[in-house]
Amino acid sequence: MTLAARIHRALRRAVLPAREQERLGRVEFQDAGHGFDLFGFEPDAFGASIGLGRLLHHYYFRVESHGVEHVPATGTAILAANHSGLLPVDAALIVVDVFLHTEPPRVARAIGDLFIPFMPWVGTGMNRVGMVSGTRENFRYLLEHDELCLVFPEGTPGIGKGFSKRYQLQSFRVGHAELALRHGVPIVPVAVIGAEESWVSVTRIERFHWFGAPFLPLPATPFPLPIRHHIHYGQPIRLERHFDARDADDPRVASRAAELVRERVAELITQGLALRRRHAR
Amino acid sequence: MSGVLVTGATTPLGRSLTRAVLDEPDRGPVLAVGLEETGFAEAEHHARLFYRSIDLRRPRDTHDLLFGPVRDLGIDTVVHAAFHRNVRDFGPHAHALHVEATRELVDLVDRHPTLERFVFLSSSSVYRIDPRRASLIAETDPLDLSPDAPAAVRDRVEADLTVCTRMGLTNARVLILRAAEILAEDVGSQLHDYLQSRLCLRPLGFDPMLNVLSLPDVTRALMLATRATTNGVFNVPGADTLPLSSAVERYGRRCIAIPGPLLAPLYRVRASMTGMEFRYDLNHRRFHFSAVLDGSRAKKLLGYEPTNPIAWPGSARAAHVEKRGGRSAGPV
Repeated sequence: MTLAARIHRALRRAVLPAREQERLGRVEFQDAGHGFDLFGFEPDAFGASIGLGRLLHHYYFRVESHGVEHVPATGTAILAANHSGLLPVDAALIVVDVFLHTEPPRVARAIGDLFIPFMPWVGTGMNRVGMVSGTRENFRYLLEHDELCLVFPEGTPGIGKGFSKRYQLQSFRVGHAELALRHGVPIVPVAVIGAEESWVSVTRIERFHWFGAPFLPLPATPFPLPIRHHIHYGQPIRLERHFDARDADDPRVASRAAELVRERVAELITQGLALRRRHAR
Repeated sequence: MSGVLVTGATTPLGRSLTRAVLDEPDRGPVLAVGLEETGFAEAEHHARLFYRSIDLRRPRDTHDLLFGPVRDLGIDTVVHAAFHRNVRDFGPHAHALHVEATRELVDLVDRHPTLERFVFLSSSSVYRIDPRRASLIAETDPLDLSPDAPAAVRDRVEADLTVCTRMGLTNARVLILRAAEILAEDVGSQLHDYLQSRLCLRPLGFDPMLNVLSLPDVTRALMLATRATTNGVFNVPGADTLPLSSAVERYGRRCIAIPGPLLAPLYRVRASMTGMEFRYDLNHRRFHFSAVLDGSRAKKLLGYEPTNPIAWPGSARAAHVEKRGGRSAGPV
């Protein structure tokens, strides 16, 4: 066992409660033969990240989960969420939330931006905890192998939109809708409430392109603020009930399908914000 | 009864393939071809095995082989697996074997009276590893045609494309098998050479996924190809997919991560001092970014699935040490 694998195992044993360790053992995992899947996912590293993420989830962001029963217990599905923050804290919280609240436990495979593999440690680390680089072929492979995928269709414009545009969805990319329609995969809309205020960027350096990054956001605070988060999961969208799967290649159809997903996420955000206001009173 | 011509027959892979064909009783004669004068001792004892020492870089010798013994024996399949195993030895003579001999063979197959199938063993090194593309490499992925590609890779790509251009245009079926790295001695494996050092260096901050192939699996893939009824390019993945650091560890070596820019000069110095064949410039992209072959086409059309994992020497040693309840004392 490599040093990294030993550290992951020790950390997983140290930070993950016994009950969650038992659940981790029941995760559907396509072992490619040496304890890793084809993309480098490693259950021990995932368990360690859940153990640490759980502390943030429970005690720092005090996440409240709503409607997690809409996440299919088995089979392929796509979680489509709003995006914000400087680092993908929202992605980490959704992954932890899905693992903790699904039965049997599921791993949400975050589809990451294409510049992430260029970043030392970050690319490898993200792969170990389940992230997959967001190419069409990788995404298709996951959909064909019963994986639960997590996408942020706003992409990097989502994290760069600034505080004044919080909870205003940017235009959605269409790739997830096209693949969902072609493969008959349900899309579960997800709204993350709280993330868009917790780590605000004051400006961004447009000329910063290290490792292929589109820009460098400059945060107002060194850490995200401990604002309570609410994660809302909506009813799964079956795109094939609205569109003909044979038209998945038609750019207008794919665009309309993505727009439908965007509307559902926007509705969920509106509901989530209203609920938060009621709770605040 | 189909007969098989095996080029590069004196390599471990060629020998393994030759023996596998001989083990199948419904096969016809096997004509093994190598550069060495005495290639196969078994040829004297086995009625179906014939050996010829041929330099494939000479077009006349290749022509006479195909229209001489190959035609006389009624051989219908060529498995072209001859290539330079030492990547440091490149130049016109290596190009002549990799590219010109392949071109000559595939040209001659077209007008040959008995040959019906041409199987070319290519390599996963022909693919351009690009993290902006899929980690899982399909047959349709881009080849490494970049101007900075080393000569050894350019030769491989050119040979592969040379065979591709004949596909569907000749009477013979043409199959290209792009095999994952064969982790074995004397088959030109860069990873095998890399793992011969007690201390293996890798780039700091990167630990990509690798896929490696065993000799029995590549032999089986070639055997299936010799019976194929289709044309095509097929990826041949191995049964072992693991991070680079795990491969080093399973081989019983120590892995140290150092800053990437230092690796090329360090390995150059090491190569000049020790004569090792590992070249970091050939491997720097796959030492940074994951690249695993997608074998779904070979599974569907050839019925190939990897079933023989690598016998990792480090794992055997670790099991032995564990059994004794002791600690490991050093690499195997």
